[in-house]
Amino acid sequence: MRSKEKNMDLTSTENILDSEKKFSKKDKWADKPAMEVRDLHFSYGKNKVLKGVSLKIEEGKITTIMGANGCGKSTLFSLMTKNLYPRKGNIFLKGKNVQNLNLKEFARKVAIVQQYNSASDDITVENLVAFGRTPHKKMMQGDSAEDERMIQWALEVTNLTEYRDREVSRLSGGQRQRVWIAMALCQGTKTLFLDEPTTYLDIRYQIEILQLVKKLNQEFGITIIMVLHDINQAIAYSDNVIGMKDGKVLVEGDPEEVITEESIRELYGIELGVTRVDGRKFVLAV
Amino acid sequence: MSEKETELEKATESGRISEADAADLSGQDKARKHRKTAKAAISFIVMIVLLVALFFAAVNIGSLKVSFPELLKGLFVKYNEDVATIYDLRFPRIVISMLAGAAIAVSGVLFQAVLKNPLADPGIIGISSGASFAAVLITAFAPTLFFFTPLFAFLGGVVAFVLVYSLSWKGGLSPLRIILVGVAVDAMFTGLSSGLNSMNGGDMSGVAAIVNGNITMKTWDDVRTLVPYVIVGLVLALIFTGMCNLLSLEDKTARSLGVNVNLMRIIISMIAVLLASISTAVAGVISFLGLIVPHIGRLLVGSDHRALVPFSALFGAFIFLLADTIGRTIAAPYEVSAAIIMSVVGGPFFIILLRRSKKYAK
Repeated sequence: MRSKEKNMDLTSTENILDSEKKFSKKDKWADKPAMEVRDLHFSYGKNKVLKGVSLKIEEGKITTIMGANGCGKSTLFSLMTKNLYPRKGNIFLKGKNVQNLNLKEFARKVAIVQQYNSASDDITVENLVAFGRTPHKKMMQGDSAEDERMIQWALEVTNLTEYRDREVSRLSGGQRQRVWIAMALCQGTKTLFLDEPTTYLDIRYQIEILQLVKKLNQEFGITIIMVLHDINQAIAYSDNVIGMKDGKVLVEGDPEEVITEESIRELYGIELGVTRVDGRKFVLAV
Repeated sequence: MSEKETELEKATESGRISEADAADLSGQDKARKHRKTAKAAISFIVMIVLLVALFFAAVNIGSLKVSFPELLKGLFVKYNEDVATIYDLRFPRIVISMLAGAAIAVSGVLFQAVLKNPLADPGIIGISSGASFAAVLITAFAPTLFFFTPLFAFLGGVVAFVLVYSLSWKGGLSPLRIILVGVAVDAMFTGLSSGLNSMNGGDMSGVAAIVNGNITMKTWDDVRTLVPYVIVGLVLALIFTGMCNLLSLEDKTARSLGVNVNLMRIIISMIAVLLASISTAVAGVISFLGLIVPHIGRLLVGSDHRALVPFSALFGAFIFLLADTIGRTIAAPYEVSAAIIMSVVGGPFFIILLRRSKKYAK
């Protein structure tokens, strides 16, 4: 077991994204979904928040979790990202139960951009992004050539190379969100979670972040799982949506098919029209 | 730059900043970064020079005076009565001042990182008085266990910390609540120590020394008590500087990077309690040092703990030695303890910080 881990370490220092691919090819779980949730239950005290959630996340796709406030989507997100532990049920990452992975092992396979972030006032973009290498390092270990390469790559992909020496506190909201995404990318994982990545941003930066997410998915094949509030953005940018209500999955699948006037009524309890402009589906959310 | 990236750049900046401007800005950032690095490097060098200068000044301040060559000669080459007296009487308190100053300052840095609160100070939040009370208990009731005083002081500090942490936890740690609960815990332990002192007739020099932070009569034995703990504490603090940096992120974010945040909190807290308690056991309760030093340190070397921790150690050693040296010259032949000097200077400083900080004193 120990030597197997060591081997993985060696390959991962050569090229993380490629080695993950190589590894997953040999893996007997290769044809398993990126993530699978089976009969998940969770409650805060007596308040049952999740009542038997089961779902599959397809590899290489963008999946958006949506639903009204209090439907359990944040709890589901926390459980899938190992921030909470399920009372009952299991979560599998490529067929492996995530409960059997420690935080560090999990962080080498799954990166998470949390909804609310903060950092010290004077940290530079590059130093903050470099935190993303933490799960690949031992304590006190400096940056290897591989770490450097991943940091440069993450900065380039998020268009932050020019801002690398600037303090994060001096960036705009949209740029700051890109820094947190860059930090997550730096972990070199094939799966990326984002919790309401557009919440604190104005519309221009919202679109910018969603386009970046799409680019990460299309160019680098990263599996994306995110929570979004805006139904139209969910339709436009997701391959799959998961609609939740009262701690259960109500709809699951291609937004073109599953987002309808009926499903919106059930999910949000409001009558909204659904129309098409240039062949694209829109919900009249006003 | 590839076509796609240029396109995205256009989309993201929507033509507000041209590429030439962007290059210019990144040049400015670079220059700014270099200025900061230079400032930090100069701060370190100046601090080391000042500390060495103060050390020799402190050696020479008092009724006995020797020249620098005489001192070196007396220490390393040939016996000299004056130098020997200075070595036995002044050196221990100087070394203790520096070690305790370094320990308390670094303890402050660590508490601030763990509690995410720039106003946390082992003196203010009651860690030192918890440690002090335990030390007083041992001195009063089991003087034969004197050798284990540091250990009991540490346990006292742990009890105080657990009290402050658990009592100020209310679904989260509010910076102000930590200070308020800390002040109450501090008052309680200080009262207990003073009460114990009074009950014993108030003339127990050992107890009084711990309560009042008196380091007049320190010997090389006290130095030997302090050295191993302080060195272990400082080395551990240096090892965990990277983790302190990660704790500056939101807990959830640090966790998503594979960091066991709660475990790190406990470990770093225990290092901070160790440093504060040990110095309290030998040098008494010193308030505000762990607050002032890291605060100025952040302005000079930045908030990266890899620089802040070693700088605070040097700066803390300097400030404590300065306070002790001023204390024994300001009203010679009477002595004012370093603890009193720190309180008189530190109190106003703390109020200024409170008033200037938008975040913590609404």
